[in-house]
Amino acid sequence: MKKILSLVLALAMALSLAACGGSSDSGSSSSSTGDSSSSEGSSSSESSSTESEGDAEGDASGSDSAEVADSITLWTYPIGNWGTEATVNELVEGFYEATGITVTVEYLDYTAGDEKVNTAIAAGEAPDLIMEGPERLVADWGASGYMVDISDLLDDTDIAEINEAALAACYGDDGAVYEYPLVMTAHCMAINKTVFEAAGAMQYLDEETHLWNSTEDFFAAIEAVYEYTGSAVGAVYCGGQGGDQGTRALVNNLYGGTFASADHTSYTWNSEENIKALEALVACDGIEFDASIVGGDEIAQFYQGTLNVAFCWNIAQQLDPNTAGTGSGLTLSGDEILFMAFPTEDGSDPELCGGIWGFGIFDNGDDAKIAAAKQFIQYMCDSEATVDAVTAANYFAVRDTVADGTVDISDIWADNEIMNEYNVLMQYLGDYYQVTTNWTSARYQWWNMLQVIGAGGDVAEAVETYAANADAGLAE
Amino acid sequence: MAKNKGQPAPSRALVRRETISGYLFMLPSLIFFVGFVIIPMILCIYTSFFDANLTANGEDTFIGFANYVELFNDDIFRKALVNTIIIVVVSVPVTCVFSLWVSSTIYKMRGPLLAFFRCVFYLPVVTGSVAVTVVWKWIYSYRTGVLNDVLTGIGILDSNVNWLGDTSTALACIIVILLTTSVGQPIVLYVSALGNVDSTLIEAAEVDGATDLQVFWKIKWPQMMPTTLYILVITTINSFQCFALIQLLTSGGPTHATDTVMYYIYYSAFKLYRLGYGNAMGVILAIFIALLSALQFKLAEEK
Repeated sequence: MKKILSLVLALAMALSLAACGGSSDSGSSSSSTGDSSSSEGSSSSESSSTESEGDAEGDASGSDSAEVADSITLWTYPIGNWGTEATVNELVEGFYEATGITVTVEYLDYTAGDEKVNTAIAAGEAPDLIMEGPERLVADWGASGYMVDISDLLDDTDIAEINEAALAACYGDDGAVYEYPLVMTAHCMAINKTVFEAAGAMQYLDEETHLWNSTEDFFAAIEAVYEYTGSAVGAVYCGGQGGDQGTRALVNNLYGGTFASADHTSYTWNSEENIKALEALVACDGIEFDASIVGGDEIAQFYQGTLNVAFCWNIAQQLDPNTAGTGSGLTLSGDEILFMAFPTEDGSDPELCGGIWGFGIFDNGDDAKIAAAKQFIQYMCDSEATVDAVTAANYFAVRDTVADGTVDISDIWADNEIMNEYNVLMQYLGDYYQVTTNWTSARYQWWNMLQVIGAGGDVAEAVETYAANADAGLAE
Repeated sequence: MAKNKGQPAPSRALVRRETISGYLFMLPSLIFFVGFVIIPMILCIYTSFFDANLTANGEDTFIGFANYVELFNDDIFRKALVNTIIIVVVSVPVTCVFSLWVSSTIYKMRGPLLAFFRCVFYLPVVTGSVAVTVVWKWIYSYRTGVLNDVLTGIGILDSNVNWLGDTSTALACIIVILLTTSVGQPIVLYVSALGNVDSTLIEAAEVDGATDLQVFWKIKWPQMMPTTLYILVITTINSFQCFALIQLLTSGGPTHATDTVMYYIYYSAFKLYRLGYGNAMGVILAIFIALLSALQFKLAEEK
């Protein structure tokens, strides 16, 4: 009897862990999850209201005739200071003052946030609003039917004002709009300018335009720095999916390859151009494929001066005064950091991977909540309050004017030298292919493929296998 | 059980009252056990027969044993299963033998020295897994790690090794970390078990001229069997369920060299949203654990 009982207990332990595994992190709204840039917590604007006081500034379409709820929930990923409680409290309090609608906010991180949202969806407890990018809001939850079509929030003026590429990414395959974009940026790479100067490698790039002369010159620069330092200059990190936009953009740009087809129906990274790029990276002495680190680790090693090139970079890192407090645009030892576009074969315009963030509404079946959520979106993305909402995100607005062209927000960053300088890269924003179907699985295939290549696998074979896997997932 | 002569048998009412109070005392833990163990267990088995993937808008399709069939054709699952078995086969005996050795050495110590050693070995158990992992990540770091610094410094290595990024070393590194976090509890249990061994038997054996090895093997070891069995079972289950280390350190890489069944369950269910497939793996893992536990009970019984 004891033996049977013990076996049942062992079975129960394993099965219950399998059934509940992975949800422990996401279940807590206050525990830290190890992500350096965020913590989970919960807050709400202090005030409460029993009745909505009216529309947000502007006219929230769809809410005119519907009853409007007096409280809604917002879950936000750490997009700049949208992951900071004090900043977000100010924003939602402003919204409360304008509308009388209370917003309860929960802060997600990129380690366990997806699990938390998916668990909530499965339990029928999804938030009313969520702030993230189209790869989640459109390609994932939108495509799965969990999001509300918010196309009624976009009038002709909005459509004309919003950056075309950013807006295009917010449309699902079914023509519905699942995200209202607020901010965007272009992901790029960075070099340790101080070391590059000492190694005589600055001749291979244009410091003013932040462009490389050519792919050949990029490799020549890496070679020069490698000879100067005697250690790895950059790392093709592939320990996981964190920061994988950097490795994708690097490979795609070197010889003009693409990651997905223009219509986002298939993955195209098995092209000759990409194979050539990967082979060139494998052959380059100064670059190592490193399966023990992800993008965040690479950034840390770049700040430390261990690596002199970072492929995972954007304006957030460029503005970061770093952990040693030496200041924005400097490494821990005070070396100067220069952000750069990814190299292209002939020095022509690169295609930078975009980051687009905005709001989406979960379809919880409550029209009053949906109406209130739409007011929130209109308040944050298309009113005078948009200035604060964009500034909080630390990225670039997706439009120059809001509120039917009455408010000019094109000069939000006029006083910020770094933001102004970084703006030069925004013209190179490429196709937002992260909305290609089955994106999550494709990312998994990408970094696993890099691991195989880094371990000495045949490049062409690995590329074919993993691109086929991604497409097979797409077929599912 | 023999009844005490001379004492009146308890009345039926008393027996019933005691039985009811017994069940009432059990009730809180029973509710917890049913709610958080039994029901998830049933749901796990039930869901494993469905194409439950979080992408079908709540409509799960019954697919019978299709998830199980797919599992055994899945190269990654097979690799994860092999890795899991390697972890169990290496870590369970090493944990038991090492903790027995340490316990045998320290159990006779008294006062602060015993407390010190217990504390040293138990510390990794009570330290948060994230903190432990961060420290080990730094130790193993390819470019800045202390392990490479030490080994190249004393001339054992010519150049740095990418401990966690190399397929030939990654799993071994994980096992080493697992060992450091696994030996604490067995050491405490063994120290306690060794302290409870009947000293008169040991003295008698020593008077009869038994060697230390004979004393250990013939007297101490049989009396520690229940403890050993318990340690074997919990260490086996812990090893099978190795997850946090993998998630925080390697994400199953490089090239699936550190994928374990638990990590693959998590990845399938919560990253790829394939809940049915993940639960099918959970059932298979549970069967493995049950079989191995049964084997351990059987062997212990024969001893």
